[in-house]
Amino acid sequence: MNAMGFAWRSLVRQPARASLGVLGVAAVGALLFDMLLLSEGLVISMRGLLERTGFDLRVTATDSLPGQGPLIPNAVAEAQAIATLPTVRSAIALRFANATILNDRPRGFYTSFQGVAGTAQHPWTILRGRDIGTGAELVINENTATRLQLAPGARLVLRAACTGEEQALPPMPFTVAGVAQFPFDTPNGATLATSLDRLADACGGNESGEADVIMVASQESAGTAAAVADVAKLLPHLRVLSNAEAVNRFERGGFTYFRQISTVLTTVTLSFAVLLITVLLTVSINQRLGEIAALRALGFSRWRVVADVLCESVLIVGGGGLLSLPLGGLLALGLDTILKRIPGIPAEVHFFVFRPEALQVHLLLLAAAAVIAALYPIRIVARLPIAATLREEVGG
Amino acid sequence: MIPRRIAAALASFVAAAATLHAADTLPHVLISRQLSESEHIAVGDVVRLSASADDGAAQQFRVAGVYEPTPDPARLGAVIREVQLHLPDLLTLTREPGMPAGSEFVETINVALVDPADAAAFSRDVQARMPGVSAQPSTGAAESTGPFLVLRRFHLAIAIVTIVASTVFLLALTIMLVDERRAAVGVLRLIGLPIRRVLVQLFIEGVLIACIGSMFGVALSLVSEGLINRFFQWRYDTALVFVRVTPEVAAICVAIAVPLGVSATVVASWALLRRNGLRLARR
Amino acid sequence: MSAANGTIVEAMHISRVFPMPAGPVTAVADVTLKIAPGDHLAIRGPSGCGKSTLLHMLGCVETPSAGTLLFNGSDVSKLSDRQRSLLRLRRIGFVFQRFFLLPMLTAAENIELPQSEADVPKADRRRRTSELLEYVGLAARADHRPSELSGGEMQRVAIARALANRPGLLLADEPTGELDRTTGEQIAALLDRVNADGTALVIVTHDPALAERCTRILSMRDGRIESETTA
Repeated sequence: MNAMGFAWRSLVRQPARASLGVLGVAAVGALLFDMLLLSEGLVISMRGLLERTGFDLRVTATDSLPGQGPLIPNAVAEAQAIATLPTVRSAIALRFANATILNDRPRGFYTSFQGVAGTAQHPWTILRGRDIGTGAELVINENTATRLQLAPGARLVLRAACTGEEQALPPMPFTVAGVAQFPFDTPNGATLATSLDRLADACGGNESGEADVIMVASQESAGTAAAVADVAKLLPHLRVLSNAEAVNRFERGGFTYFRQISTVLTTVTLSFAVLLITVLLTVSINQRLGEIAALRALGFSRWRVVADVLCESVLIVGGGGLLSLPLGGLLALGLDTILKRIPGIPAEVHFFVFRPEALQVHLLLLAAAAVIAALYPIRIVARLPIAATLREEVGG
Repeated sequence: MIPRRIAAALASFVAAAATLHAADTLPHVLISRQLSESEHIAVGDVVRLSASADDGAAQQFRVAGVYEPTPDPARLGAVIREVQLHLPDLLTLTREPGMPAGSEFVETINVALVDPADAAAFSRDVQARMPGVSAQPSTGAAESTGPFLVLRRFHLAIAIVTIVASTVFLLALTIMLVDERRAAVGVLRLIGLPIRRVLVQLFIEGVLIACIGSMFGVALSLVSEGLINRFFQWRYDTALVFVRVTPEVAAICVAIAVPLGVSATVVASWALLRRNGLRLARR
Repeated sequence: MSAANGTIVEAMHISRVFPMPAGPVTAVADVTLKIAPGDHLAIRGPSGCGKSTLLHMLGCVETPSAGTLLFNGSDVSKLSDRQRSLLRLRRIGFVFQRFFLLPMLTAAENIELPQSEADVPKADRRRRTSELLEYVGLAARADHRPSELSGGEMQRVAIARALANRPGLLLADEPTGELDRTTGEQIAALLDRVNADGTALVIVTHDPALAERCTRILSMRDGRIESETTA
């Protein structure tokens, strides 16, 4: 009987405590796995979302993120200039505002409102109807369509709010051209989009051509870095941010909390698991010292009994580790659902994202935990005084 | 006759005072410590501030002091580059060209009441008299903020998983520890002690161990509270407190841990005591 | 298997001293003895006289603090722990007062265990195990766990386990200590048979009846051999 078979029999001898040990490791391992997913999940998800918009550069007036800083004057002209660069495939100017759809509710229906200029593909996906044309048309998101029972062809009247100040802008009529999916929509958010000119009209018509951000898609053959360099050279007074840089900014900002908490919880979880498995094994070994001494007297080598202990640890942690993966997956779904309720988080962003590296790290950490947890009980059996132990067992 | 050294010192002082007097016509601002450190701006320096990125209508200010920003969890990780101006200076700086003075606005007015207990009534009164204005007491504002509610639920979920894992391990350990006493328990049963009597003894032991363990756990949490706060405060360069073990939190933890520990001991003991005494006493 | 001079174990002035907080304790002092193939030796004496310690030294479980102990001509003190383990595995069998059978293994598996450790092929292990179960009269109890066996049956399995790798020397420490008189006699008869079949046997015992079944009886007191009688 090899060491693994022996360890298995030792565990099966006490099925209740072995099962509990495995379950405990599974619960702890599930948490560990989830923390590893959380450490990079938000960043990976946000990166994916940015890439799925089809634009890999964002141009703003200052270092603030789009929508949080001042407007870019002459953005439409500058977007057109950017679009002519050889390293750029397309560029659009985008402005963010808010609007209240006037209906039978006393306060109306509050939505976010975007205006886009440029001939490139718009940053939304049409689900029903068609995209906006040149007239007073807009596309609405699914939430708006459902809650206000609007379909393509419907007419609505809205009052825009384009600055942080209270304004009394005149209401403007629009026709719903289509229902679209917006990548950065929050789960319960309402979003409308029209052309930049129509949004400027809704905002009072005093300024035109201004935008919060110019979104740029680079030529595949040229690459993002070349496009960043070209745009920065063309418009040195503006700030150019690639998707990777935008993600870095998110990481250094609020996202970093999740990485830090995942690090802290990973450390605490692992320490907890190592401590508990060490105690489990040590108590188990201490109850079997007579047997171990007898085996040593019969000729089992020191390394053989050490291997038996190590294999027991590996079996407990291995069994629990395997079970921790589906448990961790379920737990991640639950925790993701909780965290996605943070206001402003887009519906398509997830906090827990599976990646093979996380699984590898998880398995490595569990393996290390199995070895470290076995160290103290190994020390006990390796240094066990055979004769003294046999005497003690007889003496009781 | 004034000694030469003293004359030179006096001359420098007079020159500085003259400069200061001339520069005093500049309005004063305070800058955040982080801005001071990142841009190497010191007290007394003159800075130019503009509300627009193209440097239009920039004005000069003198840095009168450096302040530590109030820790804001909503801005965790951000380097707080802030400037505090007198309100008239800010309004002048941000006024649109051609707009007459007096057309500016502020977002918030902070009010300190004589009696803070009047906050709720004051809020209602303001809202009734000034439609369109939202007045809220500042206490309780944090708990009602979306992200913190969500984070609280997230932390609670993590805590629940940790408690479940701990309970499982605790049960495994108590089964083992009770099993170590099987011979003694078997002998007690054989000599006639009823199950109840033995169970009461094991229950009392379980209570003692659970209480001592809980106290140790609370002590450990207080130590780790300090360590975690120090680490994150260093990491984020902030004075925010990240972990706080309040009496309520400690009481909740003890209220969960002690019954769990006692229950685990009783369950493990009951499983043992149901067996025949002779089988227990036999090794 | 024995050394050229026909001795399995040769102890020359061996002692064993245990360092204790209150001062060193000499468990065995200046013992000299030889064990030849086929010897049937009993070691008796009052409790604490060093019998078990001497047995453990003869079985290479303890090393002497002083003196020379040769096993098959090799100086035991010069062997590594691994070499001593191998010696115990292949050359020496141990029988304990408390049996020390592994409770999660069946009788057959307990007997197979030392063979498995000695890399005996599976078929040979199975054959040897069946032989030994027959030998000790427990062929019908092969698949029973120790908890399902009586004390006498457990000791018989323990003897079978000790003989698994055909050792030249069998050491028994109070083999009947936990058994009633009748069962003890059965075990004693089995041990006699083991010795008659060629295995040298050293028994530590309080039981005079068991000691008198041996051809040599060593009496110990205070760590020393007081007397040796030969039947």
